[in-house]
Amino acid sequence: MAEVRLVDVEKRYGGFLALPKQSLTIEEGEFLVLLGPSGCGKTTTMRMIAGLEEITSGDILIGGERVNDKPPKDRDIAMVFQNYGLYPHMTVQQNIAYPLKLRGVDRKAREARVRETAEKVELGALLHRRPSELSGGQRQRVALARAIVRTPKIFLMDEPLSNLDAKLRVSMRAELKHLHHELGVTTVYVTHDQMEAMTLASRVAVMREGRIVQLDTPKKIYSEPADLFVAGFIGSPSMNLVEGHITGGRFEAPGVSIPVAAAERGDVVLGIRPEDLELTTAEAPPIRGKLYALELTGEATLVTLREGATSICARGPAEFEAEIDAACALAPRPGARIHLFDKTTGQRIAA
Amino acid sequence: MRDRSLQYVLLVPAFVIVLATTFYPLAYSLTTAFRDWDLTRSRRPEGWVGFDNFAHAFTESHFLNSLWVTTIFVVTSVALTLVIAMSLALLLRRKGRMHTFTRVVLILPFAMSPALIGVSYRFMFNPEFGVLSNGLAAIFPWLEGTAWLADPELAMAILVLTDVWHWAPYMTFMCLGGLASIPRETEEAARIDGASNIRIFFGIILPQMKGVLLVTAILKTIFALKMFDQVVTLTGGGPGTSTETLAYFIFNVGFEWYDMGYASALAWILTAIMMTISIWYVRMLLSERKMATA
Ligand SMILES: Nc1ncnc2c1ncn2[C@@H]1O[C@H](COP(=O)(O)OP(=O)(O)OP(=O)(O)O)[C@@H](O)[C@H]1O
Ligand SMILES: [Mg+2]
Repeated sequence: MAEVRLVDVEKRYGGFLALPKQSLTIEEGEFLVLLGPSGCGKTTTMRMIAGLEEITSGDILIGGERVNDKPPKDRDIAMVFQNYGLYPHMTVQQNIAYPLKLRGVDRKAREARVRETAEKVELGALLHRRPSELSGGQRQRVALARAIVRTPKIFLMDEPLSNLDAKLRVSMRAELKHLHHELGVTTVYVTHDQMEAMTLASRVAVMREGRIVQLDTPKKIYSEPADLFVAGFIGSPSMNLVEGHITGGRFEAPGVSIPVAAAERGDVVLGIRPEDLELTTAEAPPIRGKLYALELTGEATLVTLREGATSICARGPAEFEAEIDAACALAPRPGARIHLFDKTTGQRIAA
Repeated sequence: MRDRSLQYVLLVPAFVIVLATTFYPLAYSLTTAFRDWDLTRSRRPEGWVGFDNFAHAFTESHFLNSLWVTTIFVVTSVALTLVIAMSLALLLRRKGRMHTFTRVVLILPFAMSPALIGVSYRFMFNPEFGVLSNGLAAIFPWLEGTAWLADPELAMAILVLTDVWHWAPYMTFMCLGGLASIPRETEEAARIDGASNIRIFFGIILPQMKGVLLVTAILKTIFALKMFDQVVTLTGGGPGTSTETLAYFIFNVGFEWYDMGYASALAWILTAIMMTISIWYVRMLLSERKMATA
């Protein structure tokens, strides 16, 4: 358990600036999720904390101590690699036991601990196989088990559940959540899965092209995205973003006219989540258009309208049915959150 | 004519040539091994003598000596080559500025003809004007006047040296290929798990290199067993018979003593040794593969 601090850290690969100079503090016992599109520097950030990647400038502190020059083994971390990094010549049992063996845990204690951990990730029956005899998801669970078999100061997990089926992913997620509650170890976790990010994180860092664009609680990230990138990236289906202008206290765009509490201005982007919209039969609906697509997701139907270049998606009731191209109308639900962004800078406009 | 059969027809000439140039001499030498054939007496093999030629070998100290010399040569040169190749590969693994340069330099010894290597080392170890003998004497004064190639042990050492010098670079490339195929994460995971460098090498890298090292060892062993050129140009089997390897001894029996029957028998003994060793290696390799991929 320790606080991790990145102070003015910068990372370059030759001439390529992977991570521009920035600072980040991960609180003691926190579960920080790194979220961002492929290639934005999530793995690189982890590898720097682990000590596998040299930092170009700046300092990394673990538990208040500068660790720039400390080798990985002295940083007391455990890591799940994105592509597993299992030892191919060892059995599952030996793989999981290796960190314990290296730290001098005696055989008896080791075996008990390995068995217990293997049960947690549902690998109990595969202990004597080699990695080459396992499926992708099973390998990933071995990698996870090898990391959680020990209680380090910091867990670094690079997409540890990405290859599991939906069901196993949910149960592993709960397992990790419980483990974090139980041990309280500072955890840095990379995922592409927003659900995972939302459910696990104490805070989420949304990254873009090496830069952390927003660092906040999942709730805050969801309800108050700092800019257009975060707004579009978080949430599934993603937030509707409509370009337009504000006149006389209303946001206006082709087919859209919504009252907003903001000063007059041009070039704004309005954002509203599909779940904040509902179908309406009102006389002068705020959003009008032709029905473009209907997608049944199970508990709801996603209704997409088009009007000119504007396309808006709403979450309607599962039983909703209509003809494609039929005229359709939407309205914000009571209490719906309406987001406004500056079109040029992409930044959120305070309401 | 169908494409398929045309393919086979086109292969026929190649097949005939290969059969004529390999199987015919092979079969001929096999029959010769069971016959009496003294080149000074006859231009064709003479009477059948059963296993006499083979029996003769195992009662002759000359042959037994060459077997011993070959064993020493093979074991030391294979072991040294592998250790040096593996170490060099570890050093050269990281891609630095010198990357291309070091690799070009490395390939040079391998590009040299073994016969020439023998000649050049013979010069370099010449007690009077040799670069190496003089250089060594300048650094270690007590080596002054050492007749390198006149001493049985030293001559063998130099013979091994030339062979290692010739082969280590090539084997280094094989090891580099092997190292490159090890996923970087396995080593990094071990580093994070708390393994020291030595432990990472023996516990993580070496086990993953087993397959490559075995193949390298097979190749090197076979090449060492056949090694011939440097004996001719460097030591001539001497001093005495101290560097007379099996291949060189066979050559002598055939083309110095003109005993073709005996030479053929010896050649087949060498072949049998190589086959046995190869089969043993391949077995190990197969069980290794099975472990890695089953
Ligand atoms: N060894 C390297 N040399 C040069 N560039 C690198 C190296 N490693 C990573 N990069 C670059 O740094 C950037 C960040 O890479 P990183 O692996 O951290 O991305 P990521 O966020 O983990 O992506 P993903 O979600 O696909 O795993 C990428 O543009 C990548 O091309
Ligand atoms: Mg990554």
